[in-house]
Amino acid sequence: MDKFSFKDVLVTVAGLFITVFIAWVLITATGNNPSEVAKYLYEGGFKGTRNIANSLYQATPLILTAVATLVSFRVGMFNIGINGSMYVGALYAGWAGYRFTGLGHFSHVTLCIAIGMFVGAAWMLLPALLRVYAGVSEIISTIILNFVAVLFVSYMANGPFRADPIAPATPRILETAELKQIFPNSQFNTGFFIAVFVAILAHFVLNKTTFGYELRSGGDGLVGMYPSRFSSYLGIPSDRSAITGMLISGALGGLAGAIEVLGAVRYFFQELEFNQGFDGILIGILGKLEPIGAIIASLFYGAIKNGGFYVDYKTDVAREIIIVLISILIFFVSAQKIVKGLEKYPIVKKLDSIFSRKKM
Amino acid sequence: MNKEIAIDLKNITKAYPGVVANKNVDFQVYKGEIHALVGENGAGKSTLMKILYGIEQPDEGEIFVNGSSEVISKVETAINLGIGMVHQEFTLVPSFTAPENIGLGQEPKNNRGLVDWKGLNNAVMDIAKKYGFEVDPGLKMIDASVGVQQRTEILKTLYRNANILILDEPTAVLTPQETDELFTVIRTLVDEGKTVIFITHKLREVMEIADRVTVMRAGEVQGVSETGNTSITELASQMVGREVFLQVKKDEAQPTEKILDVQDLWVHDARGLLAVKGIDLDIKKGEIVGIAGVEGNGQTELVEALTGLRKASKGKVMYLDEDIASSSPKNIRRKKIAHIPEDRTNTGLNTQLSIWENLIGNSYFRKPLSSRGIFNLKKVGEHANKLREDFDIRAPNVSLKVKSLSGGNQQKVVVARELSEDPSLTIASQPTRGVDIGNIEAIHEQLVQMRDEGGAVLLVSAELDEVMAVADRVGVMYEGQIVKWVNPKEVDQAQMGLYMAGVKD
Repeated sequence: MDKFSFKDVLVTVAGLFITVFIAWVLITATGNNPSEVAKYLYEGGFKGTRNIANSLYQATPLILTAVATLVSFRVGMFNIGINGSMYVGALYAGWAGYRFTGLGHFSHVTLCIAIGMFVGAAWMLLPALLRVYAGVSEIISTIILNFVAVLFVSYMANGPFRADPIAPATPRILETAELKQIFPNSQFNTGFFIAVFVAILAHFVLNKTTFGYELRSGGDGLVGMYPSRFSSYLGIPSDRSAITGMLISGALGGLAGAIEVLGAVRYFFQELEFNQGFDGILIGILGKLEPIGAIIASLFYGAIKNGGFYVDYKTDVAREIIIVLISILIFFVSAQKIVKGLEKYPIVKKLDSIFSRKKM
Repeated sequence: MNKEIAIDLKNITKAYPGVVANKNVDFQVYKGEIHALVGENGAGKSTLMKILYGIEQPDEGEIFVNGSSEVISKVETAINLGIGMVHQEFTLVPSFTAPENIGLGQEPKNNRGLVDWKGLNNAVMDIAKKYGFEVDPGLKMIDASVGVQQRTEILKTLYRNANILILDEPTAVLTPQETDELFTVIRTLVDEGKTVIFITHKLREVMEIADRVTVMRAGEVQGVSETGNTSITELASQMVGREVFLQVKKDEAQPTEKILDVQDLWVHDARGLLAVKGIDLDIKKGEIVGIAGVEGNGQTELVEALTGLRKASKGKVMYLDEDIASSSPKNIRRKKIAHIPEDRTNTGLNTQLSIWENLIGNSYFRKPLSSRGIFNLKKVGEHANKLREDFDIRAPNVSLKVKSLSGGNQQKVVVARELSEDPSLTIASQPTRGVDIGNIEAIHEQLVQMRDEGGAVLLVSAELDEVMAVADRVGVMYEGQIVKWVNPKEVDQAQMGLYMAGVKD
């Protein structure tokens, strides 16, 4: 409610302009042609069915990890460990994908996803309990668990779940466990619709149900507030909210990993690398901690990311420069002081009062 | 009278998004006077002082200090001009002593470049002696009383050569005795040639100490008068814009059956020390029981134990026929016990949430606000907007975050929520803290109305005036015990001050 205002739009646009300017300078300085880069960035992100499909594919896990982030933030917990949940969710969804035979397509996919989400949630149980019952900062424990997750899945892919004698990888999942790829030559798959559905569901639960209200009563800001005096004062058990929020967050991370394996990669291997759990934190914040905002920000981010791959493929510019650009953009967009500084201009004040009018 | 002008603010205008905090404000302070600046919350007093102290910049207007035009773009400029400010929230390092706090940032150095502690101590003690302050140079602020902390703050401004002192609601945290001591200090300061601007909303104090008074309302100056030529009633109506009744209008209480019976209650505080030491207390339907006392004498722990936020160590809390000692806040709330907590920003509200989300904290689960766990946002909006109107919460809509409201309006959100669900017993702790005079009146009326409709109220307040005016019976708390029960009609302020200081008959 009352979250997106004209100022935010203005800052985002201003941030875009500054980013474009800095990009121009950087690309020119590295001896490349900025307008060419811009062209390929646009084409890679938005031009043609295949590129659009790939952009949406890139956005899929980001939507889920961004929602995972914002759910935890809004219950007052800072879950930085979504990447870990994503890894373990991917591993076990992949395991379920080859381990259970003789199932129908729908039931097999559902089972794999359920297992991935369950494992992702279970991964967050320890930091949640440590926070609630021992006062260990969830920021620290979840960061540590990210490293543990990488080593754990690497061990599992190399040991117990290893199938291939040459490469450390699990067997390929069965066809019944696959999320269908819709377009030729693109890893875009039906997982995208699951991600969008889950984000909309999260929007409904957080904002329109008493369960969501109880979860949010202890947090709802960019400040870790657990344990919330307000919740316990109202008779809402804030411990339970904190644990529930962390488990939901972990389950969504696990789901992101499961969709990657079931829809795109189709098996789990030691070198499989995820960083969407971290990108999700930025995107969650960029989307103002609202699930709908997370969808929009993820689509944007996914398009730029895919555009970056295309630039990398077509020119000499390394795709890392795209990551630099995205970082600069987020830096400016989240610069709250700039927003405050703008308030003194009458035109901004006026437009703001027009655009942020509310219903209730 | 010496009419040399120390501060002259001319035609100051300052607008924030959606609100004009100061509108063409003229504000003049004579050299050597005590000038009170009064007004409701949000009237613009703080903004005006922030402008004078360089924290905020005016959109329009001029500032003259001692006759010369100045642009005060930052606090350092104000300090160099001899302006000092003592904020309502103290800015002291708790683990430092008074001299360490006073010297912080402007420490005298010895010839090796190290802090000259002895010189600092001497300088501080010299200033203290000159103005008749008592300072214990070895006492850390964490162990010092609020009064001592405040004097340290004043010394800090004097150490920085302030000639014009701005005191922002200095008496809000003081006992009557400490207030008297502060007034003595202020008079000494003025005798030594200092000028004092005294921000408050307690009009009795204005009449007692100030030479002149400027009243602000809704960002504009309503009037400037000499205290000799005005009255509390006149100032109050200037502040509020209408007649206010300073006395709470109420009939004799008609207590019926006992609703709460506290027997030999003992409670430990957060540090594990005994804070409540064997309290007996009962409340009947149809009466308001007051607890007076200087803050920190166990009132917080008493209220927390009664409302389930803190476990009782020993004793019983009988509510009707059931012992609710150490019951959960949820169970206690289900029994129609409302709680207005003393700490509004962390306990009473989640300031990150919107107004409506804060208003439904005790009703979100019932029909028609929600059904089967899903909100009916239309009904929720109606409910929240009705409370906003009934309790005069000044906000353009209920979707705004609570943190954007002024302190007084935030308090109204808490009071509105707690009184809205028809409670049988209301436990109100500092219910009018930071609330302005017109709304204090409204909250008091609501508590009395609660009582007249057969409800019971426990009113815990550090404001002696409030307890004496609203409660039907008053217990004075001192060091974890109720040292005296009085009928508020039969004792005077001075007598109460003594009880609050622990003096028994």
